[in-house]
Amino acid sequence: MAPKHTVAIDAEALAGKRFEYQEDMSLVEDLDLMELTPGKDLNWLEDIHLLVEDGTPAVFDRNSNSFLKIYFDIPEGREDEIARKVLMKHLISGNSYGIQLKEKHCKYHQVELGPWVADSKSVGDNWTPPVLEGWEPPLH
Amino acid sequence: MAGVSTKSGVVYDARGLVEPDPEPPMTAEIDGDSAVIDATDLTTRKINLELKRVVYDEGVNNVTIVNPGSKHSLGVGILKRCNITFEGSPGWYACGLIDGPEVQINGRVGWSLGENMMSGSVVVEGPAGSLTGAALRGGDLVVKGNVGARTGIDQKGGTIIALGSAGINTGFMMQRGRQIICGDVNDGLGDSMYDGVIYVGGNVASLGVDCVPGEMNDDDVEFINRKFEIYDLGTPPDLKKFECGKVLHNYDALEPSERKLVL
Repeated sequence: MAPKHTVAIDAEALAGKRFEYQEDMSLVEDLDLMELTPGKDLNWLEDIHLLVEDGTPAVFDRNSNSFLKIYFDIPEGREDEIARKVLMKHLISGNSYGIQLKEKHCKYHQVELGPWVADSKSVGDNWTPPVLEGWEPPLH
Repeated sequence: MAGVSTKSGVVYDARGLVEPDPEPPMTAEIDGDSAVIDATDLTTRKINLELKRVVYDEGVNNVTIVNPGSKHSLGVGILKRCNITFEGSPGWYACGLIDGPEVQINGRVGWSLGENMMSGSVVVEGPAGSLTGAALRGGDLVVKGNVGARTGIDQKGGTIIALGSAGINTGFMMQRGRQIICGDVNDGLGDSMYDGVIYVGGNVASLGVDCVPGEMNDDDVEFINRKFEIYDLGTPPDLKKFECGKVLHNYDALEPSERKLVL
């Protein structure tokens, strides 16, 4: 079957599947957003809001430049909070496509899951350039 | 890591970067969860290598850098939650590209503080130069003195607070985020901004193209009071709000995903 063409990038399309926390609010309810962010407030999450993509509520994941759709009913007045919790669940689970690319493509030392997870493993220390068979680098 | 020698004698590493000496100097004094790096006799590269070694490899969460000597590009690219204190003044491009650290600078800083910062906070006890928070993505930049020209240029998120005044073209091409300038602002405030909010306590010399006065609401007041309380900045002054008029011609040329994010 031919892939469905969309204007924007969808997190599900990148992952090849839908995640449980996109459909079940109870899986994100217990997340402590203050604990997951630096400082005494929400910090960078202040700029994360519930959006709409293809007519479905969604949150934008800047790590993969994709929209993460939310399929459960969001209680009125909690739109941004739930959007932030779904995004953080996506990130700390390592399911963001941008995070999954780190293992292979990071050129510099960094923690794999980002600053929101303590003791996440390091990636990027031993990057080697890909080898293209038959190609020689030009003389500088 | 194997390098590539060139005719000029410069050695590039596999990433294409010059690495004259990639080894950290191992000079930090580590005491449990804290460490002190004396930058007096270290180059910028050595200071940053030592900072990364201490934070990443040693797992230290509280690092103090003494005698930074206004060297440029200090504390850049730290992608981990930790506390970093500068006792003295870093130079240009301090703390750029960070994602997570909470930084305290007991001094002044030069151009482009916190450029492209993703998250965390940077508090400066003195003034900051031009381009403070350029392309800021998230987190808080707090400057207790004046800030220079083009503060928050191309800002895409986060908050910039200046207790002093700001220079020309502050908020130029701002796309998201918030600025609180407690003092005066020079010509061209918010020129060509797409979105975001700028609060100003003093006089505005002139507004830039498509920057218009806005109405303060309860959310604005709550936000300002919360930030001043968190950073112990006292009582906020009476502030005027400025935002995008959204009539600029290039508004219609935004990509669909950009439109969703900035409008």
